[in-house]
Amino acid sequence: MGSHPNHHPPSSEGNRNGLPPTETNKQTRFDFLQRAIMAPFNHTSSDSTRILSDLAPIIMTPRMMNSAAAITSRQRTGSDRGTLSRNRVDFATIGRAPLRLTLGSHQVTSHDLQIMEAAEELLEAEIPEPQGVASNVSLLRGFNATIPSSDKNRARRKQMRNVDTPRLGLKRLGAGARGLMTDDDGHSVASEDDVVVVSRSEPRRKGKRRARESLSAAKTLGKEELTRQSEEILRDKENLHVRRSLINSEIEEITHKIEALDSIRAKLEEDLLKLQEDELELTAELEGVNERLTFEQSSRRDQQSGIPASSRRKKGPSFLPSEHDELPPGVAFMTLESHTTPITALDFSEPYGTLVSASQEDAQPRVWDLLTGSEIGRLRGHNGTVKCLQVESHLCLTGGEDGTVRLWDLRKVDDDGTWGDDLVSLSDVAEEEGASNAGSDATTGKDDACLRLLEGHTKAVTALYFEDDCLVTGASDKTLRQWDLNTGQCVMTMDILWAISHPHPTNIGSSVLNPLFPPASTFDGHFSVQMPAHSDGSWDMFEDFVGGVQFWGYGLVSGSGDGAVRMWDMRTGQAHRTLLGHTGPITCVQFDEIHIMSGSLDKTIRIWDLRTGGIFQTLEYDHVVTALQFDTRKTVAAVGENGIKVYNRTSMQHSTLATNGHTKPVERLRYMDRYLVSGGRDSMLKIWSL
Amino acid sequence: MQSELPYAADAEVSLSFDELEVLRSQYQKELAQTHVTVQSKFNYAWGLVKSPKRAHQVEGVALLQDIYRAEPARRRECLYYLSLGYYKLGNYDEARRFNGLLLEKEPANLQAQSLGQLIDRAVTKEGYIGMALVGGAVTIGTLLVAGLVRRAARR
Repeated sequence: MGSHPNHHPPSSEGNRNGLPPTETNKQTRFDFLQRAIMAPFNHTSSDSTRILSDLAPIIMTPRMMNSAAAITSRQRTGSDRGTLSRNRVDFATIGRAPLRLTLGSHQVTSHDLQIMEAAEELLEAEIPEPQGVASNVSLLRGFNATIPSSDKNRARRKQMRNVDTPRLGLKRLGAGARGLMTDDDGHSVASEDDVVVVSRSEPRRKGKRRARESLSAAKTLGKEELTRQSEEILRDKENLHVRRSLINSEIEEITHKIEALDSIRAKLEEDLLKLQEDELELTAELEGVNERLTFEQSSRRDQQSGIPASSRRKKGPSFLPSEHDELPPGVAFMTLESHTTPITALDFSEPYGTLVSASQEDAQPRVWDLLTGSEIGRLRGHNGTVKCLQVESHLCLTGGEDGTVRLWDLRKVDDDGTWGDDLVSLSDVAEEEGASNAGSDATTGKDDACLRLLEGHTKAVTALYFEDDCLVTGASDKTLRQWDLNTGQCVMTMDILWAISHPHPTNIGSSVLNPLFPPASTFDGHFSVQMPAHSDGSWDMFEDFVGGVQFWGYGLVSGSGDGAVRMWDMRTGQAHRTLLGHTGPITCVQFDEIHIMSGSLDKTIRIWDLRTGGIFQTLEYDHVVTALQFDTRKTVAAVGENGIKVYNRTSMQHSTLATNGHTKPVERLRYMDRYLVSGGRDSMLKIWSL
Repeated sequence: MQSELPYAADAEVSLSFDELEVLRSQYQKELAQTHVTVQSKFNYAWGLVKSPKRAHQVEGVALLQDIYRAEPARRRECLYYLSLGYYKLGNYDEARRFNGLLLEKEPANLQAQSLGQLIDRAVTKEGYIGMALVGGAVTIGTLLVAGLVRRAARR
């Protein structure tokens, strides 16, 4: 357009657009006319040739012809007419083409196009055999049974008998309630019939009389009419039957739908819980990462501090090997068997780290490499069963029946069984330790794994807990002792008997002594209770007066044989609160910022509110609880059964770990992150992925 | 098992306005309750297909297609109704294809057979009309051209 000659005035828009030179104008007009006249023929010809060409290969291919001829010759008798009509139809198709193009009288709406387009898709769909209600009641029968005119006959019969029924609108109400097809605004056929009846009816008072009259068959209807009526009634009854089955099938369908929706809902709720769990896990992971960050920063500052300050309490999730994620959860993937007696204590440094385990009547706890599952060596020194132990990094503390506590360096343990029972006296070790500052190269003289021997308890040490260089032990001599690991000295002794006999005045609950354990039995020298049987009927005498201890800062919590959970202040050595509720000796105790959890021989785990001291929740089991550990999300417990009980605190679901599990009741367990180690009465150690 | 079907003639008998209205209101009511039973949907659809109005028929066929899509158990029956609907709409190709599918499943179905014959007949009839039209158009065209040619020749 821009190259157009200049002599045309720019104002004439029409000229610019219309390409106006006169000769060409004439020509185009002629062209247009011609095209307009020829249009239908062009279309028809193209369309019909298309159809012809579509048909052509079928008609023309010689092979087709031959085969067709063969077929006709074979079945000449009946097929002639068929082929004839087929041909006719083909011509008809050709003939219809222009009709459709030229005489498409109706306007094509979007609806039309829609249903045309849908046809292809629908023809593709497969057609299953009808079943259920579809095979019993056809749509047509349903239609006939439910259309409004199906009520016509009834109305007619009524009219015939001239029984006027009082018009209370009951029928319509009832029908409406049943969802039958009646019209709301009274325009339906059925209601028109009703109107007819009304118009004929007399006032109600008379109506009754007339009704009786008609029922007494004063009026003769004739045999023909009566037969017809009875037939009609039968048909109506059948219709009712059809309707009923339709409604029943609808109800059934809705029931199915509700079930399906319910299951979807349950699934979604599960997903929601899982998300919540994931979020908690992420939070925990973040905490762990942050902690590690601060730890690595601080350790860079003072590299020389050999023993990393690690705390079980504060420990975030450990960093598991990536393969651990691929293990199926809830399955014991490793079994360590070399113990010959039931496991009494176990602990490990970290997942796939070092495990120390002790068993009954065995004075030598075993040290395992969890990566390979092989025994590294033994801790030789105790006289008698080791009842409790704790591992932090390479440090291990064990408490035994001999009333002593030993501190071990697990790095110095190797599978060299040559050294005998050469006991290192406390003075020796103290000297040794004094010479070398805490944790730095302690291998001055002897290559012994035992770093320190702590003596003071007069009876078996049954529970211990340490953090950094502070240790608290509980023993069957009914005392708790606090130790300084640097010096090996006992810092404080807390007497449980004294606490029992001098209940704290502020605590009302503690003045009531537990009836199961009268002072007499606790005061006499030896504590011994017959343990309720495990699931397999086995049992031991329970002699561990202190089932568990744990502290945080100056706050100490102990669970003891009198069934009481005590909270101590380690600055004063006084029990400032006693939580009563258990009816059996306490076997294990743990607490976090919010709750204290205690397991007992009374077959329950009680969760206490740390601040109020009230019972927050009680988990009941079938057998004695011997060990538990919990975090914010779950509680894992050994409850005298072969399976390990896991209670999901978020979803409140109980589950049992049993796959490839113990063959006798589990008694001890410890977990970190998703890595669990358990020991049972079958003398085996099982390692689980959670 | 053979489906119970109406003869094609039944489709030509339209419901009264009131009856159709009842079916429609029932369908609308269930639609408002967001649970439409197949039966009332079909009732309305069949009522619409029976109607002599083309717009109704189209809507009816659309509803039947809905049922066909949503209810596999009802498909076989719907094949026939769809075919009938298309037949009434004059879309004989689709009608024949749907009916063909049904005849494949139930070769002995009398209703389907008679519907097939009806479709064939209608197609043929339409074909003849079309042929006649083309013939007429051709004649007129020829006359026109001849006239033009003659006029041109005269000039």
